[in-house]
Amino acid sequence: MPGTNGALRQFTRRTALTALGAGIVGATAASWPRLTGTDIPGRGDNSLSIAIMGTAADAAARQKVIDAFAKVHPEIKVKVQAIQAVDWKDFFTKILTMVAAGTPPDVVYVATEGAQLFAEKLAHPLDEYLRRDAEHMKEYFEDVHPSLVEAFMYKGSLFQLPIDWNAANMYYNTAAFQQAGLERPADDWTHLDFRSTLAAMKKAKPQDFTPYYWTNRLFGGVVPWLYANETSFLKETKSTGGEWLWDGFYGNDPSRSLRSGGYQWLEPNADDPRVFESFDYLRGLVKDGLGVRPEEGGGSALIGLFASNRIGTTPAGGYWVQGLHEAGMTEDGFDVQFFPKWRGQRHQFGTAGYAIMKTAKDKDAAWEWVKFSSSLEAMRIVFPTPNTTPARRSMVNEQLYAGTGPRNWKVFYDTLDRFPTTGPIPAPPQQAAVETALMKNVSLAVSGDERQLKQALESMQRDLELALRRQP
Amino acid sequence: MSTATSTPTGTGKQPGSRQATHKHSQPSKRGRVQQRWLPWAFLAPTIVGMGIFTLLPIVASVALAFFRWDIISAPTFVGFDNFAEVVQDPTVRVSFLNTIVFVIVAVALQLGLALGLAIMVQEKLPAWLRVFFRSAFFFPLILSAASVSIFMRYLFNEQFGVVNWLLSLVGVPAVPWLTTPGGSAAVVILVYVWQNFGFSFLLFVGGLASIPVETYEAASIDGATGWRKHFYVTLPLLSPTTLVASVMAIINALQVFDQPYVLTRGGPGDSTRTAVMVIFESAFQRLEFGQASAIGVILTLIIMAITAAQFRLSKRFVFYQ
Repeated sequence: MPGTNGALRQFTRRTALTALGAGIVGATAASWPRLTGTDIPGRGDNSLSIAIMGTAADAAARQKVIDAFAKVHPEIKVKVQAIQAVDWKDFFTKILTMVAAGTPPDVVYVATEGAQLFAEKLAHPLDEYLRRDAEHMKEYFEDVHPSLVEAFMYKGSLFQLPIDWNAANMYYNTAAFQQAGLERPADDWTHLDFRSTLAAMKKAKPQDFTPYYWTNRLFGGVVPWLYANETSFLKETKSTGGEWLWDGFYGNDPSRSLRSGGYQWLEPNADDPRVFESFDYLRGLVKDGLGVRPEEGGGSALIGLFASNRIGTTPAGGYWVQGLHEAGMTEDGFDVQFFPKWRGQRHQFGTAGYAIMKTAKDKDAAWEWVKFSSSLEAMRIVFPTPNTTPARRSMVNEQLYAGTGPRNWKVFYDTLDRFPTTGPIPAPPQQAAVETALMKNVSLAVSGDERQLKQALESMQRDLELALRRQP
Repeated sequence: MSTATSTPTGTGKQPGSRQATHKHSQPSKRGRVQQRWLPWAFLAPTIVGMGIFTLLPIVASVALAFFRWDIISAPTFVGFDNFAEVVQDPTVRVSFLNTIVFVIVAVALQLGLALGLAIMVQEKLPAWLRVFFRSAFFFPLILSAASVSIFMRYLFNEQFGVVNWLLSLVGVPAVPWLTTPGGSAAVVILVYVWQNFGFSFLLFVGGLASIPVETYEAASIDGATGWRKHFYVTLPLLSPTTLVASVMAIINALQVFDQPYVLTRGGPGDSTRTAVMVIFESAFQRLEFGQASAIGVILTLIIMAITAAQFRLSKRFVFYQ
C-alpha cells in the first residue's frame, strides 16, 4: 500500500528529480554519436566515404566489393553510405544537402542525369590519374564502348568511369505477339512497322490490354522517339578537347572521329518541326488507343503488368530483365529489340559511375576505389544478375542472361556497337529544371488535338529557355 | 455595488487564500526568487525550442529571400530580385491560382462532408456505432499522405485501375483520371478531402455534443422541425466550431503538397502544381533557395491575410451562447 512501504517513502521528490536528471544525461550520452552525426559512415575517421543511391541492404550488398578492395588496399578503409531516394534528382539533392551541411561524401555514384551538375560544381576530374595509370587502365577502355565514356566527358575532362548503363530498347511480350500472329520484329523495323504491330495486337486482344505503355520521364519517355527522328528537345552540340583521352585509349576505334570533349545542351529545341512530328506520332498512338497517355513515374511499377501479359510493348533498359524474371516471366515470355527506326536509329542511353568530390579528403585513395570498381573483378562481384547492363562488353554475355532471358540479349550492347551515335540522356547542369520543363508539357502535348500539341510545345520552349538561363 | 467576483468586503481577496495568507507572512528571499524565476525555468525548454526550431528558421527564411543561394556557392545579396522574378514567373502564378481554386473546392467539400456526416452520426446512429464511425472517418488522417497517394495512383490508373474497372461494370468508358487536367485535379481534391475531412468531422461532433438539448426542445416547442432546426439552431450554435474548422482547413489546404506531388507531380502541364510544390521544386530541384524563400514569404503573407480576414468576418457570423 502506498505510503506504508518504507522504500517508497524514501523515494522523495528530490530523488525522483535526480533520477530523472541522471536519466536524461545518460540518454544524451548514449545517443551522442547520433546527435552529433558521428555514426554516419566515414565521418570522424579517415575512411573513404562512398555514397550510393539505394537502401541499407544495397550498402550491405557492396560489402563483398569492399572486402575485395581491402585485400588490394588494406591501408584504405572504405565505408559505403546508401541514400534512399525516389529518383536520381532526389539523390543529388540529398548529396547537395550533405555538401551544405559540411559533411560531403568523398565519392558519389552518379548517373548521366547528374554528371554535368557534378562536373560543373562538385567533382574532381580524373584526367591526371588516367594519364598516370594509363597502362593499367588500357584494359578497361578496351572493354568499354567510347559512347559511354564520352557521356562523362565535360569540357574536355573526364569525370567518371562508366560502371553500368542502359539503353532505351523496346521490350515486347511474346505471347501477345503470337496471339496477334506477329513475328519477331526486324532489327531495322520502323516507326510505321511499330504502329502496325500495335494495331495488330489491339485487334487480337481488345480488352484489358495496352499495346504500348510508356511513362513520362527523361529516360525512355519521348526522348527515344526524338532521337530516332534525329532531333531532340535541346540543341545538342559538343565541346572541343578530350584528345588526350581519345588518342590515348581509343586511337584505333572506328568511331574515333565522332568523339569530343563532351556533350553540351545550351539551347532549347522544342520548336523544331521534327520535334512536332515525333510528338504528333505519339499523339496519334494515344488517340487511336494504341498507346497510353504517359503518367509520371518509373518503369518498375509496370513489371507486374507486363509479366501478366497486359502490356504489349514498352521501352526499357537491361535493368528490366531481372525484374521480369523475379515477376515470374520465363525466358520465352518476353524479348527485346532495338528501338524502331525513323530517320535514323539512334538510341538513348544513361550510364553511371563514381565521381570523386572536390572536397574528398584523400583523392588518391578515392581514385584507387574508382579504379578498383572499374576492374573486371569488382564488376563481376557487383553485377551477378542482369539487373542492369554492365559497362564492360565482355560481361554482357550468354552466361549473364542464362535462365532469365531475353533470347535477343545481344541487343543491349549492340545498341552501342551498331549505332555508335547513340547518345546520352540530355542532361545539362540544369538537368532538374530541364526535366521538369519537359515532363510538364509532354502529357498535354500528346493528349489533345493538334492545337493543344502546338501550345504545349510553345510552352515547353519557353520553360526550357528559362531553365537553361538559370545557373545550375 | 458588489460584483459576482468580489467579496462582501470588496477587497477581492478570498479569506484563507494564498494571497490572504501572504499579507501576514512574507515569503523568504529564496521563495521570492523561486516565485520570480521558477515559471521561466519551466518555460525555458519551450522558449528555447521555439526559438531554435521555429523563430530562427522563420527569420532565416525571410532573410534568405533577399539572397541568391544554391547551397554550393556563397549566398549573394540581390535585394528584391527574387520577389520580382517569382511574381513574373508564369509557373508560380499558375501554382498560386491552382492553390486558391483547390482551397475553395477542397475546403467546401471537406467542411460540407464533415458537417453532414457529423449530424448524421450524432443524431441517427446508436452510441456504439458512433464510436465506430468516429474512428473510421478519422483513420485516413493517421495514414501517411504519400503512401495513400501511391495507393490511389494504382486505383485511378486509366488502364488497369480499380476505379475504371468498377465504372466499366456499369458501362462507363475508361476515364483518364491522372493524365488530363480536369481528371487529375478532381483526383487530387478527392484524395485530399477523403484523407482530411475526419479532423473537421471530429470538431463538428464535439461542437454538436456541446449544444444543449434544451435549445432543441425549445425550438421544437416553437414548431421548428427537420432542416429548420438545423438551419436556425445547429448552424448558428456551431458557428464557433465552424470558424475553427474552416481556419484550420484553409491553412492546411493552402499548404497542400503530398497528394499532388505523388499523384501527378503537378501535371499534366501545371494543372495540379501548387504553391508549396513550387517552393519545393525551386529549392530542392533547381537549387534556387532564395526564390523558394521568396515564394514561401508570399504564401505566408497570403495565409496570414486570409486567416485575419476570417477572424474579422467571424465577428458578424459567429454566435456564442
